[in-house]
Amino acid sequence: MPASHTADHPTRRYLAIWGWLAGLMLLGVALSELPLPKLTIVLVVLALSSVKAVLVGMYYMHLKMDARLLRLVALGPLVLILLALSVVFSSRLLHF
Amino acid sequence: MSTAQTVSAIEAPSTATGIPNGKLGMWLFLASEVMFFTGLIAAFVILWMSHPAWPGAEGHLNRLIGTVNTFVLICSSMTVVLALAADQRGEMAGTRRWLLVTIALGALFLLIKSSEYREKFAHHIFPSTNVFWSCYFTLTGFHFLHVLGGMVFNLYVLARTTGRHWPQFRKRLELAGLYWHFVDIVWIFLFPLLYLF
Repeated sequence: MPASHTADHPTRRYLAIWGWLAGLMLLGVALSELPLPKLTIVLVVLALSSVKAVLVGMYYMHLKMDARLLRLVALGPLVLILLALSVVFSSRLLHF
Repeated sequence: MSTAQTVSAIEAPSTATGIPNGKLGMWLFLASEVMFFTGLIAAFVILWMSHPAWPGAEGHLNRLIGTVNTFVLICSSMTVVLALAADQRGEMAGTRRWLLVTIALGALFLLIKSSEYREKFAHHIFPSTNVFWSCYFTLTGFHFLHVLGGMVFNLYVLARTTGRHWPQFRKRLELAGLYWHFVDIVWIFLFPLLYLF
């Protein structure tokens, strides 16, 4: 493989991720306009946001290639957030 | 010690973990920032769930403007990573160009956000108007300050690219990029919460 071709490879990947981010954003906007139950829209659109955040973290912030310790540092607060949210919202989500 | 040895010593990981101090420090800082914004967003969601009619008829935000601004930040996330890629290929001109585009996109984001604020103020909508607007100005205001901070960081790195000490400062480009991506991720969640629901 020519050296220039190898050098261009990450750039193509970055452009592809950008396409996914823009596409998922537009999908979220389109879904929010649909006549669906609000809770369904909220959960689906926030799930799309989470996918976008993972794409940015893994590919743009290079967590996919970085040391495992950095992935743990990034995951640490997310685990705490999930614990906190599950405690706060477990009794209220059903009434939303 | 030769110049090559000096540069090598500076770029070598300086912790027992094998991760450079600056990078590990930035990730720990970002972890604390995640907790900061989570506290604000959680407060917003709890207040939202306590008000069935939230945000009400007067709580309208322009989706098109929000979508455009989100797209601007997504583009800036790509340009800052392209700056890093250009630096790794040794293309200094490309590094400077993409950093400049990133800063310009950050400025465009702030300009659009400022115009939104100005419009709200013109309609006598302030943080004290009601709980929704209090949350809106708090969340977007802190994010605004973070974007501004990221722009200053990127400008600092851009200014260093012209100096002969760039080999010692190039690690800061990655750190500035990490911070910028974090700011993008925060907006990825703020946009639907404030504009779409």
